[in-house]
Amino acid sequence: MSALLEIAGLELAYGQVAVCRNISLRLDRGEIVALIGANGAGKSTTLRAIAGLLSPRRGTIAFGGRDVTALPSYERSKLGIALVPEGRRVFPFLTVRENLELGGFNSRKDPSTLKRRMERVFAMFPRLSERSSQNAGTLSGGEQQMLALGRAMMSEPQLLCLDEPSLGLAPIIVHDIFQTIRAINAAGTSILLVEQNARHAFETAQRGYVLQTGSVIASGSCATLKRDPRVQEAYLGRTATRR
Amino acid sequence: MTTTIVLQQAINGIVLGSLYVLVALGLTLIYGVLVQINFAHADFVTLGAFAAYFFMHLVGLGYIPSIAVALIVGAAMGWLINASIFTPLRRKNNELLPLIATIGVSVMMQNLMLAWFGPIPYAFETEFSRHVIRFAGIFVSWQNVIIIVVSALTIALLYVFMKFTFLGKALRAVSQDRETAGLMGINPNFLIMLTFVIASALAGMGGAMLAPVLVLTPFAGTSVIVKAFAIVIIGGFGNVEGTILAGLIVGLIESYTTQFLNPGLIDIVVFALLLLMLAIRPTGLISERREENV
Repeated sequence: MSALLEIAGLELAYGQVAVCRNISLRLDRGEIVALIGANGAGKSTTLRAIAGLLSPRRGTIAFGGRDVTALPSYERSKLGIALVPEGRRVFPFLTVRENLELGGFNSRKDPSTLKRRMERVFAMFPRLSERSSQNAGTLSGGEQQMLALGRAMMSEPQLLCLDEPSLGLAPIIVHDIFQTIRAINAAGTSILLVEQNARHAFETAQRGYVLQTGSVIASGSCATLKRDPRVQEAYLGRTATRR
Repeated sequence: MTTTIVLQQAINGIVLGSLYVLVALGLTLIYGVLVQINFAHADFVTLGAFAAYFFMHLVGLGYIPSIAVALIVGAAMGWLINASIFTPLRRKNNELLPLIATIGVSVMMQNLMLAWFGPIPYAFETEFSRHVIRFAGIFVSWQNVIIIVVSALTIALLYVFMKFTFLGKALRAVSQDRETAGLMGINPNFLIMLTFVIASALAGMGGAMLAPVLVLTPFAGTSVIVKAFAIVIIGGFGNVEGTILAGLIVGLIESYTTQFLNPGLIDIVVFALLLLMLAIRPTGLISERREENV
């Protein structure tokens, strides 16, 4: 397996405030890798750095064997990195259809490809098709999450980074979203998943990294991580320990 | 008789209003994308007026080509100033710097024009000013017909651009959420540049058409820009449809105030409306609906 994403010695800060001290991780083609950790552990910050929204103080980010550390977000998007940001961040005053079209901005000169991708997104999320001419700001939280995910898929990325896709959603919708994430992965997209809900993350991912106050404190296959006492205590609660 | 006057002033108001719209749209577009007020916008209006004047008098191809020249000069100058002054300042990550720089650019442009063109007002007359159409007791000069047609076409084109082209949608996306637009592969710097070029082109073109009704000096734009600011606020900062509506309303108010009250009261009436709007509908005439479910 070749590494699609390789991060080495990443140090991230907002102004003077250091958020991540030394993050190293890798993701192979076809994998789903989970980043778990408590609030403020630096998971979202790491994803932002991968997407190019935050330039690291130190360390490198390589994508598909190429050093992308210095590239701005719009260049990384062209290489095949997509991020579904925290809080979904749909364009509220654009329609659902326009949001999706912009997701495919890099292929704007190829209308037939865009059309095919949009049909696929609508097949994945029929609700979006029903609401395609509605402003995205009027959608419910679950629908906005679908839109954010669909919008990211419009670029047919090689790497899909998901920041808390379950946050604030009803359990039944969360279930659907994770099913879709697995389907997207099965169709060939590698996924880096940030989740506070460790149980969902471990059910979906093959491998995981555990972050605590800006450092990786454990990593390995999800099966191994589930048995790690530190992980059980901090993120899974007692029901998991009982098994 | 009164209906004729009302109709006559409606036409005058629409003529003036469409020019205000052209100028105010640039302000609102720049505000939408950059959340920044461009204090130099007035001087692009003046620049456009002078560009048209000199093209007409030195090249002599007539008035309509000179409108196009004013548009091109405005666009080129907008590109140049954005690339040479605003872009380097924006990289310093201090929002105040580019804002203050717009005041600096304004002073610079006014004084350069003062040095070149002098303080004495120019008389801008076009071959269309004296040709008048009479229709049911109403008089419309060809000049005004040109203004209405050119403005309406420009506004319609801009609307189509914003609504139906990829770049126009990208521009709206950047003004709603610049960071997320970057994630889509949209280069925000390119769209900021494009916004400056479009805004300055509109101002230059507006200047060429306003010139005959302005006292054309290097400070001519200032008299228009105060009203343009009022229009942008009445229409809702960053809102294109609101700006168009507000511009036409202000134009109509101006012509009716001149007719029925007193030309000296124009600014008082316009700014009274502005204060009223700020008090009862601070988000503008057409406020974007912010219903968001979480």
